[in-house]
This record gives sequence, C-alpha cells and structure tokens, in this order.
Amino acid sequence: MAFAPMGPEASFFAVVDRHKASLLATLSRGGGEPAGGGTRLASSSEVLASIESVIQDIITSVARNEAPAFAIDNRSSWENIKFEDSVGLQMVSHCTTRKIKSDSPKSVKNFALILKILSMIYKLVQSNTYATKRDIYYTDSQLFGNQTVVDNIINDISCMLKVPRMSLHILSTSKGLIAGNLRYMEEDGTRVHCTCGSTAVAVPSNIQGIQNLITDAKFLLIVEKDATFQRLLDDNFCNRMSPCIMVTGKGVPDLNTRLLVKKLWDTFHIPVFALVDADPHGIEIMCIYKYGSKAMSFEAHNLTVPAIRWLGLLPSDIKRLNIPRDTLIPLTKRDQMKLDSVLKRPYITCQPFWRKEMEIMADSKVKAEIQALTFLSSDYLSRVYLPNKLKFGGWI
Amino acid sequence: MECTAVAVCEILKYLIIHWKCETGTSKGALLEGQLVISMEALNSKHQANTLHCVTTIASAGSIYGGLVLKKFLKEIQSILPGFSAKLNWTSEEASCSQDISGVTPFQMIFEVDEKPRTLMTDSLVIKNFLHKIVMVHPKIKFNFTVKVNGVLSMEVFGTKNEPTLNLSNGIALVINCQHYVRRPRFGTAELLCSRIRPVLGPPVVLCIPGDMAGPGLSGELTLTPAAALCPCPKVFSNQLNRISSVSIFLYGPSGLPLILPSQEPPTTTVFKDTSYFIDWKKYHLCMVPNLDLSLDRDLVLPDVSYQVESSEGDQSQNMDFQGQTLLLFLFVDFHSGFPVQQTELWRVHTLLTTHLSAILTESHSVVQDSVQVAVDQALEQHHQATKDHQKLQVSLSVAVNSIMSIVTGSTSSSFRNICLRALQAADTQEFGTKLHKSFHEITRHRLLPYCSCEMKQQLLPEKNAEQSTEDAHENSSLELLAGTSEQVENKRLKRGCLRQGMEETRAFHSARTRSPSEAAACRTKPTGASPTPGGSRGSPGDSLEDSLWQQEVSNLSEWLSPGPEP
Repeated sequence: MAFAPMGPEASFFAVVDRHKASLLATLSRGGGEPAGGGTRLASSSEVLASIESVIQDIITSVARNEAPAFAIDNRSSWENIKFEDSVGLQMVSHCTTRKIKSDSPKSVKNFALILKILSMIYKLVQSNTYATKRDIYYTDSQLFGNQTVVDNIINDISCMLKVPRMSLHILSTSKGLIAGNLRYMEEDGTRVHCTCGSTAVAVPSNIQGIQNLITDAKFLLIVEKDATFQRLLDDNFCNRMSPCIMVTGKGVPDLNTRLLVKKLWDTFHIPVFALVDADPHGIEIMCIYKYGSKAMSFEAHNLTVPAIRWLGLLPSDIKRLNIPRDTLIPLTKRDQMKLDSVLKRPYITCQPFWRKEMEIMADSKVKAEIQALTFLSSDYLSRVYLPNKLKFGGWI
Repeated sequence: MECTAVAVCEILKYLIIHWKCETGTSKGALLEGQLVISMEALNSKHQANTLHCVTTIASAGSIYGGLVLKKFLKEIQSILPGFSAKLNWTSEEASCSQDISGVTPFQMIFEVDEKPRTLMTDSLVIKNFLHKIVMVHPKIKFNFTVKVNGVLSMEVFGTKNEPTLNLSNGIALVINCQHYVRRPRFGTAELLCSRIRPVLGPPVVLCIPGDMAGPGLSGELTLTPAAALCPCPKVFSNQLNRISSVSIFLYGPSGLPLILPSQEPPTTTVFKDTSYFIDWKKYHLCMVPNLDLSLDRDLVLPDVSYQVESSEGDQSQNMDFQGQTLLLFLFVDFHSGFPVQQTELWRVHTLLTTHLSAILTESHSVVQDSVQVAVDQALEQHHQATKDHQKLQVSLSVAVNSIMSIVTGSTSSSFRNICLRALQAADTQEFGTKLHKSFHEITRHRLLPYCSCEMKQQLLPEKNAEQSTEDAHENSSLELLAGTSEQVENKRLKRGCLRQGMEETRAFHSARTRSPSEAAACRTKPTGASPTPGGSRGSPGDSLEDSLWQQEVSNLSEWLSPGPEP
C-alpha cells in the first residue's frame, strides 16, 4: 500500500503469519467464531416498539392498581454468567433479575430515571438523531447526580430491551486511541488515515458506522496504558514493525474501543496481542478485551475477541530478563485479592499458561509495570522486547 | 394559685417522697398503690356564695408507715406558710385498730371555705397534677372525687395497663399517644401510631450555684431529656409531618412535677426564650411561646408550650389537623453516694421549685447539648421522611412526565389507544391526570413506613386485629427495652380502651373538646361495666351516652358559676 512505511523483512513476521494461519484454520473449522445470539443491531421501529411495550406494561400495572416495576437482568452476579471459549463471558438465557420498583423508597428514583432515559431514547430514535451519554447526563445533571448513574441505566436499558447501545442512538465519547496501518471512512463520509507518526487518532464514537476499513497490518497490538502507547509512537514502533495497528483504551477500555478491536478482528482476522503491566489489574484489562466483562456480558458477542494473546509483560519475563529487583513493586493485599479473583474466573481453566504466569506472580509476590523494561534500556521495549516477542512468538 | 389545690398537690408530693424513701424502693422499682383524694363541699352557713370544703387524702394501703405527724406538719407548713386550714390526721388511731386485712388506712383531712369558681379551678389543678404524676408512675392510681352539695363527680387516674418506657430511676414514661395530643378527626387517625417513641438524651450533671445549694446537700443533680414526636404517623403525609408545637414536661426527683398546673413560678422563666435550649433554625422552625394553656382539657398539661409561628402559607393548609407536637420531657434527678433521705429529697424539690431556671442557666451548655441530641434523634426520622417524600414526589413526577412524553410523542395509534383505554381516558390530557393520580394513589400507602411499631399490625388481616394490637404492644415494649437498661413490665392493652387509665364517671372538664367517639372510647360506666369495645366509634348508643354526660357537666358548671344559688 502506498501509505505503508517500510518495516522489517517479510521473514520477520513468519511466526506471526503462522499464528494468523492457525487462527484462520480454527475459524474455518467453526471453532472460533461466535455462534450468534445475544444482542443484535435492531431497527428503529423495533426499538420504538420495544419501548412502547415497556410503557404499556407499566400502564397496565397502574390500571390494575399495582405498583409497576422493571425487571432488569442481574448483570452483577456471576450466577448469570456463563463462559464459552469462543465468545467469552456471556449471560445465561434465563438469568435472575432484580426488580426496580416504583413503590420502594430505595428504587423509585432509579425507576423514574429509567423512564426518563427511555423517553429520551424514544425521541432520539424517532428523529434518527444521536446523543452521547454525556449529552444525556447534561439534560438534567441535577436529577441524574453523576455520569455513572446515566451509564448504568443505559446499560440496563440496553440489557432490558436486548438491543445494543448503538441501536438506542446513544453514543459515548471515546477515550481510546488508534494508530498504524489503517484507513477507514466514518459514517458521515470523513476519511481517516491512522498514519504512523507521533500522533494517534481517537477511536470513533460510531463504530458500527465506519466503513471501507483498509489495512495491511500483520497484527494488532492492544496497549493497556496511554503512556506506553505514546512511548511506542515516539519510538516510531508502528513504522519499525510496519505494517501493524496499535490501539489503547487508556486503562479499562470503553465500549467503543472494545467495539473497534472486535470490528478489526472480525474484518481482518489478524493476530491481536495485548501488552499490559505484569500485575493483576493489567491481566484483568486484557481479560476484558478478550473475554468481556460481567457488566456487559449481555453484549459479549459484539465486544469480545477470544483470539487475543498475551504478549507481555509476562511475570516470567521478569526473571528471564533479569529485571532489577528494585524496579519491582510488592503485591498489595488488594492486588493479591484481585489475583485470586481472576484465578477463579471461569476462563482461566482453559488458559493453563496464563494460570502459570499468574501463579509465578503470586509466588514472587511482586508486580512490574511495562516501564520496568526501561531500566534495561530506554528503548528496550520498542527495539528489543516487542520485536523479539513478535519474531519468535513470545505470546501465550 | 388556689389554696386547696396547692395544699393537696404539696401534700401528695410529700407523701409520695416519703412513700418512696420509706419503702426503700430498689432502684428501678415502680411505686404501686392507690390514693384517694376527695373534696366534699356544701354551701357555707356563714357566708353567701361560699362553699365549705372538706378535703380528704387517704390511702387504702400501708403507704404512710413511719410518717411522723410533727415532722410532716413542720415540713409541709414550711412550703405552705399561708395554709391555715386545720389538718386532721387519722393514721395513728387507725394503726391501733388495723382492719382484718392488716392494711393500715390513712386519712388526712383539712377544711377551707372557698368560692365555687375557686373550687372548680382547684379541682382542675389537682386533676392535671394527678394526670401528670400517673404519666411517670403507671402503678399509682388516684381516685379523685368532688361532691358539691350532693352532686358527685369522680375521676380515676391510672395508667397501669398502658405501654411505658422504663427509665432507670424508678419511673416509667407512659408512651400512649392519646395522653399528649388529641386524635385528628378526619380520616387520618388510622394513619397514626398510638404510641410515642421517646429518644433519651445523655444524662448531664447540673451545677448548683453555690449560694443556692445550702448546707447538707451532698449529692448531684442530673438531667435526662427525652424527646418524641406525637402523633407518630405510620406512613408519610405532608399534613401529618408538620411540626406545629412543642410541649415541655418538667419532672423532679421521684418523678414528681416540679411546678403545679397554672402556676407560673421562676421555674419556667428560662423557657420563655424559646431557643434557649433548642436551635430551631436548624429545623427551619420559628417557635413562639404558647400562653394559651387551658386547665380544662383531658390531655396531660405541659409545663411549657411553644407553637410554630404560622405563616400565611401554613394557614392555607388543612386546619383540621394540628400537625405534630414535639414532646420534650426533662427529668431532673438527685443522686448521692448513699440512699437519699426523705428530708434531702424534699429539700431538693424545694430547691428545684424555686431555682430550676437558675440551675439550668448555670449548666446551659451541657443541658443544651443533651436536649439537642434527644431532639435531633427524635426529628431525624421526621427529616428523613420529609426528604424521602420530596424524592418520591420528584421521582413520580419524572416518571409520569416521561411516560406522557412517550405516549404523546408516539406515532403508533394502536399504542396510544391501548394506553388511553387502560386508564379509561378520553384524551391524552385526561390520561396524564389519571396517570398522575393513579401513581400517587398506588404508592401513597406503600411507601415510606414511618413508624415501625405498628408495621406488623398493618400487615395482619382485620380479623386478627385484637391479637395484633397485643403483638405490636409487646414488640414496642421490647423495642423500647433495647434502649434502656431497665426491665419493662410486660403490659398489655385491654381491647379497645387505650385510655382506660382515665376512667371517669362524671368529669369536671368539658366534653366539647373531644370527638364523640373519643369521649366514648375513654369513658366507662360508674358501675364498672366493661369498657367500650374498640371499633365501636360513633355508635348511636355512644352518642346518647355522650349527650347525657355533657348535660351533667353542663349542669355542674352552671351550678358552680357565680350567681344566685339553686
């Protein structure tokens, strides 16, 4: 491609290519592709009809002199989550629900806020306009209290109506960044070139709306932290390892970043690697990209990429690379609890190598940030660590 | 202050102090016994428009063992210097001729000449005094009779079977709401709990200014406040949740009133400043002293009363319901390292009667803190309920408006028709009104349980009403016990007569102030017939009885009023 800078020799990516072939083979055998289900993009009329149905139920209750209530799937309970290797965490079909009653002092406000946001969604869908979650919050910030309240209610509504957030005409301002060998056209016709350089492109708000994605990338690298992402850009990593794509969700990824990673995977089926800190929090973030989160399990089919591999920083790398002991950080009690919690997750059973790495961390009682590699050399990460990992297949 | 009333009240105070010391009341034990106060008046043969009145204070039990006549006369005359009536004492003679049951009867008689109106005021003062005592001495019963030219009126004061909150100093506060406020008339009564829920503030030591203590007073005075809202609504209601007045009840050691009804000694001077002990601004209230305290009422008379300064907005509200009253009980007690002697207690009472204001002023800060703690806690639930109610109103309004927005904005005629049909509304405007009303109705009684003591009762079916009352009572006692260290005797209300403690045959006070149903509910027949069953409000029989009773009261009032004798 004309915009592609010169990267390493083709043979450099031999192992990556073999990995890609293996992923494609798995896909062609039908073992890796999601079986469908969960939420799906719904048409405007379907969304309107769903909302009308909810309102009808409320009015029927009122007419019967019964206090209306919403039954919302209990998204915070592990009981309602099942793990499927090809999809990740997803909700069971008959999950337990929680009631949001109109006659309980504790839940009456939530009940009202759900109706308020439902009515806003109804108008957005009717007028075929979009609003961000932030826009919704600012329509009556005093009533909503804080943004999290709005975010949770939107997720509840999405789960209740069984339609993805995009179909509700609600967008969120993306915090993620993308860089590398990728071009696409946004819904409004804007052409975007994620050319390599020292700047990155913001992940678009309307992932479903992007079209004409073009890339020659050999792989997609998910970087946990913005600082590391910027350092790699500064070190010209995308050009050196060209063709490739880098994405960061700046910590726990938002929905758009996850949707983009999923879209890139679905479109190109290129290997996806994760570069996270060697600590329980980094592992959990990687798991969110790969297997999804408990809270958004109802939309797992649109969000998870089980093909993601853990490239680094592996706890075993700490010893292998002789990273100085004083650059390591002792695990806190909270870290240990988080590690124990991740080890108990259903998906860990099918990841023996991950388990082993986590056990190494638990035994050593230390964690390391990616920046620990700078103690070996300031550009060790971009010049040595990552190229070697990619060249020799150092992922698990 | 009328002469006979002061004498009766002071003698009763003295006797109860003696009784308490003499029986060596174990800490926390309640005094139990019966006293009879009778006043018999006949037209004076010597003076026109004057009644010769013979007052007798008697006990049926051995209450006054060990009472020394000389000492009694000396001490009672120190507090009643102007009391010139002759006191007759019959216990010594009687003790020699004990009756078969071994009980020593006791009688104290004095005679005075009084004007008819004075006698009426006297009897009201005594009645209020007795009522106030039984509010903290539920096991003491007073039989009070007045016979004027052969016309007998009798009233019995006692609260034996009423729910109480035990306090640690041998007194127990009666928590039956109906002693403190009148039940509202218009359909709100069922929304109210029958009990108050007092919250105790921390006891504080009162400093006695040096020049007041005098020699030989070795001990310390403590004050324990208790606050409660009355009536306590079972569910939130705007009207019921409005504080309209404050009633302050002062009790001295042994649970005896510090001042006599209608008396205005220096004791209460400190309470003239309504915000001296309580920061009302904190609750967005403005209090003014309530000077209109009629003796002629069936409620226990507060020593001090404030009312909320009404604004124009308040006046527009339902005037049938007076709102809630904040009850503030101030219990002053005396402790020393040794058992307190009668003389010492009597001196403390005398000291408090004259110097309470100064003593409270001396300890202003600690008293204020303690009172504020009790009031804060009592009002906390009130505030929470108000806040929750506002939240509910906002939430319901948001919910209804959101539904309306969807229904009116919908382009689906079938959806709109279904909605309108469901609420039997002709158009969206009517739909909106009905939706709002329905939501309000549905949530009104289900939300915001305000008073926990009767929640269980509410949930039980009608047929178990009697049993559930008892259950609720027990729960209440247990609940209150949790907040005190003393044991509360397991009391049970008899069915349907919450106010059986005030059994009346003929009363002195007017029945005009009570609703017929209420009057009927608290009255029993002189023959001791069974109390009026609960729930028989406003039956034809009650009305007849009520009107006859009112007629009798009217006749008595007429007879007692100045003018030509009958």
